[in-house]
Amino acid sequence: MQKNIYSALAAVTLAVTGGSFAGTASAQSSDCTYPLGAVLSLSGSMAAIGGAIGDAGQLAVDQMNEAGGMLGCEVEYRLRDDQGQPNVGIDAAMSLVSIEGVEVLLGAIQSGITMPVLTSVAVPEGVTQISCCSTAPNFTELAASGDTQGYWFRTLPTVRPQGFVMADIARERGYESVAVIYVNSDYGVAMTEAFNDAFTAAGGTVTEMVPYNQEQASYRAEVSTALATEPDALFLVAFPADGATALREWLSFGGTQNILLSNALRATEFIDAVGAEYLQNAAGIDNAQFDGPSVDAFNAAWEERFGSAPEGPGLHTMYDAAAIAMLAAQKAGVYEGAAIRDAVREVTGPGGEVINPGPEGFARAIEVLAEGGDISYVGATGPIEFDDYGDVSGPYLIWGVSEDGELTQVDTWDVERVNELMQGQ
Amino acid sequence: MVGIALYIVFFLTVVSIYAIIVMGLNLQWGYTGLFNAGVVGFFAIGAYGTAILSGPDNVRLIGGFELPYFIGVIGGILIAAAAGLIVALATLKLREEYLAIATFGISISIQLVALNFASLTGGANGLVGLPRPFYQFFTEPSVYSVFFLCLVLVFAAVVYVALERAVRSPWGRVLRAIREDVTAARSLGKNPTMIRLQSFVLGSAIMGLAGGLYVGFIGFVSPIDFLPILTFQIWAMLIVGGSGNNRGAVLGCLIVWGLWTASGYVISNLVPPGFQSRAGALQAMLIGSVIVLTLLFRPRGLIGEEDVISTHAGASATPALQADAAEKG
Amino acid sequence: MPQALADGLLTGAIYALGAIGLTLTMGILRFANFAHAEMMTWGAYMALGVLTVFSLPSAPLGPLTFGWPLIGATVIAILLTIGLALLIDKLIFARLRGRVNHLTLVFASFGVALLVRNLISLIFGGEATYYTNTLQMAIRIAPGLRVMPDQVFIFCLSIVLVIAIHLFLQKTRLGLAMRAVSESPTLAEINGISLSRVVKWVWIIGGALAAIAGVLYGVSVQLRPEFGFQLLLPLFAAAIIGGVGNVVGAVLGGFFIGIVESMSVLVIPAGYKLAMPFIVMLLVLYVRPTGLFSGTSGGK
Repeated sequence: MQKNIYSALAAVTLAVTGGSFAGTASAQSSDCTYPLGAVLSLSGSMAAIGGAIGDAGQLAVDQMNEAGGMLGCEVEYRLRDDQGQPNVGIDAAMSLVSIEGVEVLLGAIQSGITMPVLTSVAVPEGVTQISCCSTAPNFTELAASGDTQGYWFRTLPTVRPQGFVMADIARERGYESVAVIYVNSDYGVAMTEAFNDAFTAAGGTVTEMVPYNQEQASYRAEVSTALATEPDALFLVAFPADGATALREWLSFGGTQNILLSNALRATEFIDAVGAEYLQNAAGIDNAQFDGPSVDAFNAAWEERFGSAPEGPGLHTMYDAAAIAMLAAQKAGVYEGAAIRDAVREVTGPGGEVINPGPEGFARAIEVLAEGGDISYVGATGPIEFDDYGDVSGPYLIWGVSEDGELTQVDTWDVERVNELMQGQ
Repeated sequence: MVGIALYIVFFLTVVSIYAIIVMGLNLQWGYTGLFNAGVVGFFAIGAYGTAILSGPDNVRLIGGFELPYFIGVIGGILIAAAAGLIVALATLKLREEYLAIATFGISISIQLVALNFASLTGGANGLVGLPRPFYQFFTEPSVYSVFFLCLVLVFAAVVYVALERAVRSPWGRVLRAIREDVTAARSLGKNPTMIRLQSFVLGSAIMGLAGGLYVGFIGFVSPIDFLPILTFQIWAMLIVGGSGNNRGAVLGCLIVWGLWTASGYVISNLVPPGFQSRAGALQAMLIGSVIVLTLLFRPRGLIGEEDVISTHAGASATPALQADAAEKG
Repeated sequence: MPQALADGLLTGAIYALGAIGLTLTMGILRFANFAHAEMMTWGAYMALGVLTVFSLPSAPLGPLTFGWPLIGATVIAILLTIGLALLIDKLIFARLRGRVNHLTLVFASFGVALLVRNLISLIFGGEATYYTNTLQMAIRIAPGLRVMPDQVFIFCLSIVLVIAIHLFLQKTRLGLAMRAVSESPTLAEINGISLSRVVKWVWIIGGALAAIAGVLYGVSVQLRPEFGFQLLLPLFAAAIIGGVGNVVGAVLGGFFIGIVESMSVLVIPAGYKLAMPFIVMLLVLYVRPTGLFSGTSGGK
């Protein structure tokens, strides 16, 4: 009986999904196209940052098409919403891979979604996955154990160095004691642990480390706990919406305006919600290089397209993820997951002709590759080199807030300076 | 074509795992009238139980006992059953609505433990590298997917057959008698609390089994696998399919999960990215409407409860029970 | 310590207002309305909508962050919330009432909650918003104790509203009828009380209080489509601890939950704070199944 129902409904599902697939296929032009898949949180708890990250991928795809397309074909950007739920995310990834023929998956944002997509879709199906935004340390562990079969890459550096850099800044600014309020996620925990290790080793005191659960009504109790220790400064590791709630409460209750902010808070939404006048003494970190032709090229293209500066977490790294995916396929000469995986390191890292973001850069890359040359993509985040586990170490910028609420750039940490700091500890 | 077949295998695996949860809920709500609003909590316990028992050793964790996968699953089932027992003992004597609220609270608390008790659960990072049954015997992942689907189907079939037998047994009749009229059942010398307790614990164990299978399917668990919205989805499946009927429960799974994923597909293809965050709300509204409309127009779901316990028992069912069954609706 | 107590009382004031409406529906309509918290969200967003549509200034009154425009918007929001409550009752709950197991109503309220919450995020988007971006500074009233003027206002207002509702239930004919229905619907009907009229007034009072609580929450924290859902557990806990149907009990329950939640962070890791209302509720139910301030037993 049950079997009958299953087979009947399997037929129905087949008809529905097959039918709609045929519909989209016929809508495309008759020329060849390749789908580039992305799974991001467009709704749910990460919706505030997910939309812009999706746009960054679109920008890269459009520029590639302007440059003549990937492997001579138009790239179609297939963006799916995971709604902040792993079960929805893996279903979206699976349908992208199996029905739409995607060979490279970009995303996801939250590690709790990226990981099941990797283990249950990307690796078994032999599809390369490049995440813009997932920071959990256990991806590195999984890659080291060989379980990712090399299909895993991420274009943002792990958070541990960020914690070290922030600890260094705290010391440099003369803070003796710092309280940390952090989001209770893989990202927050890893950042806080790193900061605690580094700051304590440097002779400072972390007075309190208060985790908060996401999307709570009020963080008054958490804030009061941190406030009670009367620290010289607060290190807030959060996402924009919750971060604004917590910091507003912190300031209202007389907390110090010596504030250190994590990379996810580099968003105008956050600055506006808190009020720029309270953030004059704040310093934040983000993964990105702020000068160099490749960065300028991306920033200019973004401003032209969307009319504002590319501010917010994940934009630069998502652009690079999409660009690397397409350039790797171009290098591989075939749109196939394993070949793309093997080509990723060949189009990044030093040694080849430098390729910058933008249609001209991509067109040049296609040309060089056609002639059998080597390319070295230097992206929106600067030079990129993946290690054996698909991780990159990146440059950082230190940002602040101007009186009229604009994001400013205070300092920059290139890879050498970061490595020096990490080794010094 | 191969791609579509692969997707269907994947889709059906997810549906079958959900079908097992829904059958567990059906036992609690459909047959016994116990409102469990914390379904996802027992699912989570089964998953984490399996993961901790069978996961790889890790110096930072208490768990990682590297037991064989199926021992892990059995452990997960037992832990979920034990949790069900504790919850039942604490709440079954309370008013019925309190059970709904209490179980809702429990599922939130369980997620908090998963998130905060990092030395046991891996905290926000979750547990990674979990074993997938018989994976080493397969070289071709797609063949393994088909195998795993069959494995889950076998479990689903076993649960289905076992539940069908159970609810048709004298025990099952007592269940429904209690659901309909506690006082009458008590006057017949039945102990309603004891029977309810058994039903609740058994249902929780079944949800735990689904959790164990989920671990085998994904190879990873983390707290965001167990958001409260999953409880909603499971309930929608049961209500749409028809509570008090296991075939309905399975059918509801296919329809609701199919609707959920298909609407995601449609939205991502029709709505420009800038509006997708709002369009995601449409999808949840769709499920909300389906729930409410089903309750209004087909309160017994698409299939609904069978009128009589006729297929096997036929005329031999006692007149009292037939009257009892006819009275509902 | 005094700060935690003050924080708890002020958070508790909002719980208390939400719990009044919830305890009335649970006591009189006899089902746990999971959509009640969404009424709060709806009310809060309707006030935001009014402010936005007429682009009203915040015009703060004295030390408060808001002024007459928000108060006016709240009045309109109350009407819109009552309207929504009555509409939902007419379209959904009234059709189910008496026809199905009362637990089916609980599930219908699940569905309604999902609908309302997502309707709000469809209209207003999912981002956090504020009535005003002005940040209010807490005033130091004693060493180690700071409060915000808005919070004091909220606290006082909730006390006033509670007294008003209490008097209404005790002194007016309608209030008496409501209490009678809460004790026993059948007996009340025999005595000539119109059930449908009582049901209507339960929604009116519950909806109005939910809208006020929602706006106050928005003033004191922020607006987000999920905030009601996040308040569900503390609201239920407050209503149940107070004894279902007991308005004064619900208010005391709200304050109690607020204080316990806030003080708990001093003892347990902050990550577990969310579970506190629930644990307190279970403990209370275990000791006193009818709640601490046993009102009408509610029965079945």
